[in-house]
Amino acid sequence: MARVYQVPHHAFGWLVAGTFMAALPHLIHGPLWLRILLPATVLGRILIQRGRLPMPGRVLRVILLGGVLLGTLYTHGTVLGPDAGTCLLVAAFALKLLEMVRLRDAYVLLVLGYFVLATTFLFYQGPIASLYVLLSMLCLTAALPGINHPEAGARAWRHFRLALVMLLQAVPLMLLLFVLVPRISPLWSLEFSQERSRTGMSDSMAPGEVSHLSQSRELAFRVEFEGAVPPPAARYWRGLTYAWFDGRRWSQARPQEISQADYVWFPASPQPRPDWAATLVAARDEAAARGPVYRYRVVQEPSRRNWLYALAVPFADDTRLGLVRDLRLVSREELNQRRDYRVTSYPALRSSMPMSPADEAISLQLPEGFNPRAREMARRWYREAGSAEAYANRLLRWFREESFYYTLEPPLLGEHTVDEFLFGSRRGFCEHYASAFAFMMRAAGVPARIVAGYQGGELNPVGNHLRVHQYHAHAWTEIWLPGSGWVEVDPTAAVAPSRIEMGPEAALQDDPLADFQGIMRDLPWLQQLSNRFDYVQFIWQKWVLDYDESSQLSLLQRWLGDVSPARIGMALAAGAAVLLMPVALWVLLRRRGPGRTPMQREYRAMLKQLRGRGLVLSDDLPPRRLVREAGGQWPAARPVLKKWGRAFEESVYGGQAGTSLRALRRYRRQLRWLRGARGGQHVSPG
Amino acid sequence: MEKVQRALARVGKVVLGKNEQIRLAVACLLARGHLLIEDLPGMGKTTLAHALARIFSLDYQRVQFTSDMLPADILGVSLFNADTREFVLRKGPVFTQLLLADEINRATPKTQSALLEAMEERQVTLDGDTYPLPLPFFVVATQNPVEQGGTFPLPESQLDRFLMRISLGYPSPEAELALLAAGDLRAEALDLTPALTVDELQQVMQAVEQVHASTDLLGYLQRLLEHSRSSGLFQAGLSPRAGLGMLRAARAWALLGGRNYVIPEDIQAVLVPVCEHRLQPVAGGAARGAAGRLLEAVPVVP
Repeated sequence: MARVYQVPHHAFGWLVAGTFMAALPHLIHGPLWLRILLPATVLGRILIQRGRLPMPGRVLRVILLGGVLLGTLYTHGTVLGPDAGTCLLVAAFALKLLEMVRLRDAYVLLVLGYFVLATTFLFYQGPIASLYVLLSMLCLTAALPGINHPEAGARAWRHFRLALVMLLQAVPLMLLLFVLVPRISPLWSLEFSQERSRTGMSDSMAPGEVSHLSQSRELAFRVEFEGAVPPPAARYWRGLTYAWFDGRRWSQARPQEISQADYVWFPASPQPRPDWAATLVAARDEAAARGPVYRYRVVQEPSRRNWLYALAVPFADDTRLGLVRDLRLVSREELNQRRDYRVTSYPALRSSMPMSPADEAISLQLPEGFNPRAREMARRWYREAGSAEAYANRLLRWFREESFYYTLEPPLLGEHTVDEFLFGSRRGFCEHYASAFAFMMRAAGVPARIVAGYQGGELNPVGNHLRVHQYHAHAWTEIWLPGSGWVEVDPTAAVAPSRIEMGPEAALQDDPLADFQGIMRDLPWLQQLSNRFDYVQFIWQKWVLDYDESSQLSLLQRWLGDVSPARIGMALAAGAAVLLMPVALWVLLRRRGPGRTPMQREYRAMLKQLRGRGLVLSDDLPPRRLVREAGGQWPAARPVLKKWGRAFEESVYGGQAGTSLRALRRYRRQLRWLRGARGGQHVSPG
Repeated sequence: MEKVQRALARVGKVVLGKNEQIRLAVACLLARGHLLIEDLPGMGKTTLAHALARIFSLDYQRVQFTSDMLPADILGVSLFNADTREFVLRKGPVFTQLLLADEINRATPKTQSALLEAMEERQVTLDGDTYPLPLPFFVVATQNPVEQGGTFPLPESQLDRFLMRISLGYPSPEAELALLAAGDLRAEALDLTPALTVDELQQVMQAVEQVHASTDLLGYLQRLLEHSRSSGLFQAGLSPRAGLGMLRAARAWALLGGRNYVIPEDIQAVLVPVCEHRLQPVAGGAARGAAGRLLEAVPVVP
């Protein structure tokens, strides 16, 4: 039969739908002109199909292509790179739909469609995005039967079902390949535009210079606990410590003041350790006996920094991680991708940390000539209090009892930030309080430092994991008390205890975000839904997105023992064999008897139905005799049976295409409602 | 077609109560096949053959086979004419349109095979010269049941040349009464008015070839053949030639039934006459009815 080289009419629906769906996600981040172009081309295509518009001529197509190139240049300044490239690809893809005439064009469109779908993952990797991509793939695949069988009927739903079956069949193989095919770290890294870089914590803070703290709902990290979950007041996720104060700005200790001896990389055992690390390791068991031990896994969003977040005092068993002398966790590399790490924290180990003279020097450092009032008060109060602990308590009580306020929109401060804050504005957020408290401590001769990190987190009851968002970012202080070591002191808690106990939403009732949170609280099912979805995202993160080279290696090691290319190959072959064996068996067993045609199935169905009515009929009856025999046993059915028999005979043996299967089925249905088979004997239908 | 129906009816008047067999015999001829009638003497075999020849206005020759018969008695001989000093062919009885080979199993195998070769090739070779036989050419052979004495049973390879084997059997009581009342019907058979000319017969035979056989029907036929080979009921299964013969016979049967397409009933109707003489049941199996078991074992629609 002659091949028709035009795109079959009935393939259009799925082609257009698939194209539209494949390109749709790119409109979310794409420029405005792309958002207009895609619906316009789809609409144009439909109008062309209906004969309302002519096919676009060569001139128009050249103009459109030029416009797309210029648009991309205008938006991205280049046509290279992942952002501009995807934009150009999607636009060209949309235009291809417009100029599709021949079968070849349809194939090009489909293959392009699959590629466009793959690019979706450059921008979105969540479970919803993946589901969406699968659905779009289904639509694209549903266009395939239409293109390949020009003679097939225009049964859109059938094509979809075929595509669905094909994709479902591919799923086990896809999973096998996902798990086993060696993962290679990207050979090149894609540089995306700045807009996509994440917000996060900076390596210094200057409380007086911020008049508005914007809060982001973006996720910072998730924590999954094995065993006990610490109470809200103990959820201080330490990220950085600021030990250096220049009068306005707190920042990390200068690099020259951090030596190699301040770092220890895990696993700590074989290498020569600095004595502080040795002390900590030695005291670990004893600390575990004295206080709680938290075991957890942190899944951190990319931060482009190398510091990690953990409760004090963290230990890990991961060679990529290290412990710094100020009891925080660091990574050897910056986190440009999502990473997960397992940590065990021993809060009681704080007291075992020795203090070196260098530590003490930097923890007491203060620039000369700033904040004279605060300095003077610090010395006086310390003298009156008598001990560091009593002094700190007095200061906290002062914060609590005087009219200090917690706000995200504090006034700007001048030169003497601490003086102005303590004796003037008295309005600020965590940074202001931490900064003032640390200053007061140092001024009185108590070693102190500021810790930056996250405080709190929302417990998702569905997965028993903690969500920590950017708005959980916090700053607090640690002071050195002889005998207790570095002790956590959170002056913000003295001012706004709800901030610590209930999260930032509670402390900020007038915030629009808080309204949203309030709505969530009022609608428990919404909260529940949100929790569930978060859990799905977390699982997705854990099992799909985080499945990288190293997790693959550890999984394969667990399964295969020694991981070698030969073993992986064997596992792949064995897996494929196990998956394909049922298919092969099914095909082989089915091959034994010739495949049944719809008409043959109809005959069998009739035989079964009649036997179900209690008629005794042998297998070897040809249609006429079947009708005669059945009619003899069930006279009431004779007229319908005759019609059925004639229709069957003419269709199957008479070579007359006229009789449709539908008519046969209709007769058979009529029989179903007839009563009284076997000469009046009652047999209930169905 | 009405003429064929009329022919059937007329033959039925001289061979009483044997409509089924007459129909089969006519179907066999329409399918261009040779017919073997196996029966005891005196059951009306010859009358049937006479009637068929008359009704289709065919030339007719009858040969009574005996054990001392030679091939030349059937095929003919070249004689030397002393006057013209040339060999002249004296054609034997085989040069006719319908040959009745009576009691074929009384002849020696040599003579049998001479006839059977002529049947297959529809030509005769004498002294190196080939002479075509007239068209149409049918052989209706009769044979006594093999158990009778003084016979040379036909080997299977030669039985295969016959499209059908039928047997007439004793008439029913009514038919026998009618027969006794009518007296000898053989003379009447010779006086039958032809129902079709030879040309019309040729047309009908061509129409048989046009009868439609659908894929489903061919599938059924194939499964029957397949089952005859794989069931273990028979020493050897049916040959492809048997399958082709069955299809031709079924087409003719369908045409006689007034249809221009074959249905499974047609296959079932001709299966036993077409196949039974080609199938040797395995030792211990009943000779008769074996082909019928084939029908029971194979579903019409898979």
